Amino acid sequence: MRERVLVAMSGGVDSSVAAALLVRQGYDVVGATMKLGCHGDELPDRPCCSLDSVNDARRICDQLGVPHYVLNLESAFGRDVVRDFVDEYARGRTPIPCVRCNTFTKFRDLVHKADAIDARWIATGHYAQVRDGVLRRGLDPNKDQSYFLWGIARPVLSRMLLPVGCQSKAQTRAVAHELGLELVAEKRESQDICFVPDGDHAKVIARELGAGAAALARGPFIRRDGMVVGEHDGYARFTIGQRRGLPGGFSEPMFVVEIRPATRAVVIGPRADLLGRLVVARELNWLVDAPPAGAGVEVQIRHRARPARGMLVRVERDEVEVALDEPASAITPGQSLVLYDGATVLGGGVIERGGRGLPVMAA
Amino acid sequence: MGMPDPVYLDHAATTPVRAEVLEAMQPFFGARFGNPSSPHRWGREARTALDEARERLARCLGATNDEVVFTSCGTEADNMALLGVWRAREGDGRRAVVTTPIEHKAVLAAAHQVGREGGEERIVAMQAGGLVDDRSFDALVTEDVAVCSVMWVNNEIGVLQDVPALAARARARGVVFHTDAVQAFGKVEVDTRRMPFDLLSLSGHKIGAPKGIGALYIRRGTPMEPLMFGGEQDRGRRPGTENVAMAVGLARAAELAVAERAHEWEKLERQRDRLEAALLARIPDAVIHGRGSPRAPHILNVSVPGVDSESMLMALDLRGVACSAGSACQSGSVTPSHVLSAIGVSPDLASAAIRMSLGALTTDACIDRVAELFPTLVEKARRLTPA
Repeated sequence: MRERVLVAMSGGVDSSVAAALLVRQGYDVVGATMKLGCHGDELPDRPCCSLDSVNDARRICDQLGVPHYVLNLESAFGRDVVRDFVDEYARGRTPIPCVRCNTFTKFRDLVHKADAIDARWIATGHYAQVRDGVLRRGLDPNKDQSYFLWGIARPVLSRMLLPVGCQSKAQTRAVAHELGLELVAEKRESQDICFVPDGDHAKVIARELGAGAAALARGPFIRRDGMVVGEHDGYARFTIGQRRGLPGGFSEPMFVVEIRPATRAVVIGPRADLLGRLVVARELNWLVDAPPAGAGVEVQIRHRARPARGMLVRVERDEVEVALDEPASAITPGQSLVLYDGATVLGGGVIERGGRGLPVMAA
Repeated sequence: MGMPDPVYLDHAATTPVRAEVLEAMQPFFGARFGNPSSPHRWGREARTALDEARERLARCLGATNDEVVFTSCGTEADNMALLGVWRAREGDGRRAVVTTPIEHKAVLAAAHQVGREGGEERIVAMQAGGLVDDRSFDALVTEDVAVCSVMWVNNEIGVLQDVPALAARARARGVVFHTDAVQAFGKVEVDTRRMPFDLLSLSGHKIGAPKGIGALYIRRGTPMEPLMFGGEQDRGRRPGTENVAMAVGLARAAELAVAERAHEWEKLERQRDRLEAALLARIPDAVIHGRGSPRAPHILNVSVPGVDSESMLMALDLRGVACSAGSACQSGSVTPSHVLSAIGVSPDLASAAIRMSLGALTTDACIDRVAELFPTLVEKARRLTPA
C-alpha cells in the first residue's frame, strides 16, 4: 500500500515540484490549496490564495494525475495569523505572520485535514529538511526557510516531508522544467506577506482595528532623554532599526531604537543605540529536548541574518534569555529568536525584548 | 482488489448528457449547421428545428411557443426575470423586488443589482423548516413591487415551496411572479395553464441536456426589457444567433423528464428514504436539513455535528464518492451555506453540511455503498476530532 501524503500547494514552483517529486518517489499524493482569505482575487499576481494560484495548483495536480482540493481555512487563519499580526503591531512590535501560519495553519490545521484522509505524511515546498525527526536548515543557504518553522509542534516533525529542502532554487526550477511543469517553472518569487495588499501593512491594521486605531494615530518622535523631536503618523508604521520617515537635522544617522505604545512614542537614536547583547524570548517551542542554561548555541534574530554565537543564560518554561558573544543590531520585539546547533533547529520563541547586556543599563 | 465503482451523488450540480439528447443534437453539429435567420435551405432547416424545439419545450410547460425564450443557462434566465421585469416596471411606481434568502446566487445577485440601479431589495423571512414565512411574504409583496421571485425546489436542501399558492397571492397585488425551477423541473408538475406564475427558469444540464442552455418561460403580456441588444432573434427579447443544437437537446431532455417524472420521483424518493434511514440509524445525532418540510426527493442534506464537511468531502472523494457541500464557489472551496444560515442553522452545523443529490446514475448499489461508507467515515472523523 502506497503511503498517502497531503501536499500544501500554493500554485508556486516550490510546492509544485515538491508534489511532483513525491509522485515520482511513489507516494499516494493528494494536493491541497489553502484558501486563507488574503483578498487574493483583487490581486491577480499574488503568490498564494488568488484564483490564478488555485487554478495553477489544480492544473499541476491534474498534470501529475493526483486529486486536488481547495481548503477554506479563512476563519482560523484570520484568528491565528491576521488578528495576531495586527495585535502585535498595536503592541509596538514587528510580527512575522509566516511563522504563525506555519505553526497553526500549515502544520496544525492542515495536519488535521491529513488525518481526515488517512494521510501518514504532510508535505510543503519549504526550503528546510527533516531528518530522523529533527528539523534542519535547507541545503541552499540563500533559500533556507528554517527560521520560519521553529513553532511546529514537535510530534509533527515525524510526519513532514520537505522534498525541495535538499536542493537549490535553481535546481527546483530545473526539476520543474525536467518534469514538464512549465506552468510554474519560472514563476516569480513572492517576497510579500500574502494578506498584505501591496506591502502596506497599515491598511490591514486600519481594516481590522479601524482607521482611528492608536497604532495609526499621530504621536511624538522622541530621543531617549524624552526630548520631542518631531511627529509621526502612527507608531505601527515603524520598526526597530528603521531610518525611513524619521525627522532630519541630526549630526549622525538616526534610527528607530524603541517603540512605546503607551505614549505612542517612537524613540530615535544613533546606530550605537541599536546594539544589544541580550535577547529575551517567549512563546517558546522546542524541537529537541530543551538545552540547559549555560549551553552554547547559535541564534538568528531575523530571517537571512548570519547566525550569531551566544549562550543560553536562562531557560525557563515560558522564557529564555540568550547572551550573544558579539552585540547584534536592532533586536526587534515580535521577530523570532531561533536557536540552532549547526544546521539543526533546536527551537525558538518570539523576541520579547533586547538588552545591552552591560552592567549599567542605559536609561 | 480495485476500488469499487465510483458513486456520483451530485446530480444537483450537474447531470450527464443523456444518449437520446446527444442523438437529437448530433445533426446540428454536422450537416444541419445553418443559421435560423438565413433565407435559404440551410437556414430553413435550422429555423424549423428551432421552432420545433420551442414548441416541444412549450408543450412540456403547458405554454405556447411565444412564451418560451432560450437562454444560455439558468443564471441568464433568472437575471432576465428579475432585471428585465424590474426595468420594465420601475417607472410605474413598482420599484421593489422581493425574493427569499435561500435563492440561488443568480437570483440574489440580480436582486442586488436592482438595488444598485435604484430599486429596493426585499428579502422574505423564512420558517426554520425552509418554507417561506407567509406573513412576511404578504407584508413585503405589496402594490409597489415589480417582481417577486421564489425558488420552487431549493438546490441545497430540496425544500419545495408552494409556488402556485404564492404566485396567486402575488398576482392579486399585480406583482409579476417568477420561480427558479432549475431543480424542480422534472420533479414537480409544471403547468402554466393551472398555475399562476408569470416567469419560470429552467436549466438544461440539470436534466440531461448539456451545460450552456437554459430557458425562461414568460407568460404572454408580462412586461420585460431585454438584457442584451442586437438582432431580432426571439422577438428581440434575447438577441444573438440561436443555439439550435442545444435548444433541440433541451427540448428532448425536457420531454423525457416530463414523461419519466412520476416514475423518477418514486424511485428517487425510495432511494433517498433508504439512505436517510440508514444514516440516521447509524448516526443518531445526524441532522437532515429540511426534513420536516415538503421536499423534492433528489436532495439529501445532512450535517453530522462536529464533523467538518470539507474533510468529509475529501475522504468521500478519495474513496470514489462525489458529494458536495452546499454550492461550490469559483475556487472550488467550501464556504458556509447562505441557505442554511437563512433557515437558522448554526454556523457549526452548517459547516458540517453535506449534500447528496440523487438522479439518473443512482442505483440501489450506490445507496448501499454510501449508507455503509458515510457512517464509517463519520466514526473515524469523530475519533480524530480533538475534544
